[in-house]
Amino acid sequence: MLHKNPNLLMRHISDDDLVRSADGELSSQQAAEVDAHLEACWDCRARMEEVQGAITSFVRAYHADFDAQLPPIAGPRALLRTRLAALASESPREWWKQIFQFGFSSRPVALVCLSLLVAAIGILWLWHAPEEELQSASVFYDAEAAPNRGLTPGATRQVTVNEVCSAPREEVVADVSVSLRQRVFQEYGIADARPEDYEIDYLIAPRLGGTEDLRNLWPEPYRARVWNAHVKDALEERLHEMVCHGQVDLATAQHDIATDWIAAYKKYFHTNKPLPLSS
Amino acid sequence: MPASSYESASLAMPSSMAASARPSRVEQEVMGLFEEFRGPLLRYSLSLGLSIHDAEEVIQEVFLALFRHLHLDRSRRNLRGWLFRVTHNLALKQRLANQISIQRTAEDASVAEKHADPAPGPEEQASAAQRRGHLLAVVEALPEIDQLCLGLRAEGLRYREIATVLGMSLGSVSISLTRSLSRLARADGR
Repeated sequence: MLHKNPNLLMRHISDDDLVRSADGELSSQQAAEVDAHLEACWDCRARMEEVQGAITSFVRAYHADFDAQLPPIAGPRALLRTRLAALASESPREWWKQIFQFGFSSRPVALVCLSLLVAAIGILWLWHAPEEELQSASVFYDAEAAPNRGLTPGATRQVTVNEVCSAPREEVVADVSVSLRQRVFQEYGIADARPEDYEIDYLIAPRLGGTEDLRNLWPEPYRARVWNAHVKDALEERLHEMVCHGQVDLATAQHDIATDWIAAYKKYFHTNKPLPLSS
Repeated sequence: MPASSYESASLAMPSSMAASARPSRVEQEVMGLFEEFRGPLLRYSLSLGLSIHDAEEVIQEVFLALFRHLHLDRSRRNLRGWLFRVTHNLALKQRLANQISIQRTAEDASVAEKHADPAPGPEEQASAAQRRGHLLAVVEALPEIDQLCLGLRAEGLRYREIATVLGMSLGSVSISLTRSLSRLARADGR
């Protein structure tokens, strides 16, 4: 077999073939030829050892560099498990997807039908919707009222219900430091943020065990007309009260406000729109 | 610190959810892959210049994306390659968002000293640390694509998988690794 490739017999093995041989990336025939050459050629064996040595050194340095930085897996594992459970409960296979999957043989037909359905629903809604509802349609465009869950999943400290309920309000409400505020804006890609445009808000309020952590803070725009910071403050107040009266456990309150604070408001105030704020 | 808040994050799961929701087959599969690949993916994200905090968050997003991927019955072929590819894309996106660039050369000079292997004696330790620091400096001087190829290969990916993750040809992967290893071999003084 070797004689079929005179290059490997007459010349030394190229660096590329040496590396690919070390990595098992050659075809079986090429590998056999390289092995045969290495048996005969001390120069190439020495070069192969250099390659292997470089790989060994790199792998050791790579692991030494990064492994020491890796936190224990327990926390991230628990967080992922929680997020998966939330995601699984949010996204079971919706009935319409199943209809879509089984009811239509081709995607174009399905898309046309869906478009017609959406258009029909839109027309009907516009035709029948009371003016008040049309005005409150801005609800749907208050996109920034909810934080990006990827950037702001919420973070809590270890705290008991007694501690939460016994701390005076002024002890737990803290101003966010300037540097942290800047990092929050940076995370959200907001350049040249004006203080009057945003409040850096805690997703899980400190009085519910939330921490001053990058993952628990997001820039909440004051311009949000419906679901704004004042409404969220009312929810925090409500949840704090309910936790302290034993009507909701602390973990549930933290979870609900972190998952979707607007949904939590609707759930705990039994309403689909914010109640008038008491002055 | 990310670790503490990750640990405390489990507090946010209501007890009712913990008790009633038995993880689905897909959730179990995702958690199994998380156990196996969190370390390699974190290292790879760190090699892209992310902070550990950002890297942890990227990995969480990757596995949530994996859940959606599997939940929709999409291809299970080469999930390792899929994980690295998605990690690569999300990490780059995060890096762009943070507007950070890889400027770890100065830090790396001290990394070897900080994380020296405790087993050898002080002199051997200092010597090994010095060598490692030197090697890391050589790695830092490589083009970024070469560093990424090395990192992915160190995590066990085959050339074809590396090519897919980085969007380059098989031949380019081979050339990149050969070039890098030649420089490392020279730096290693072997």
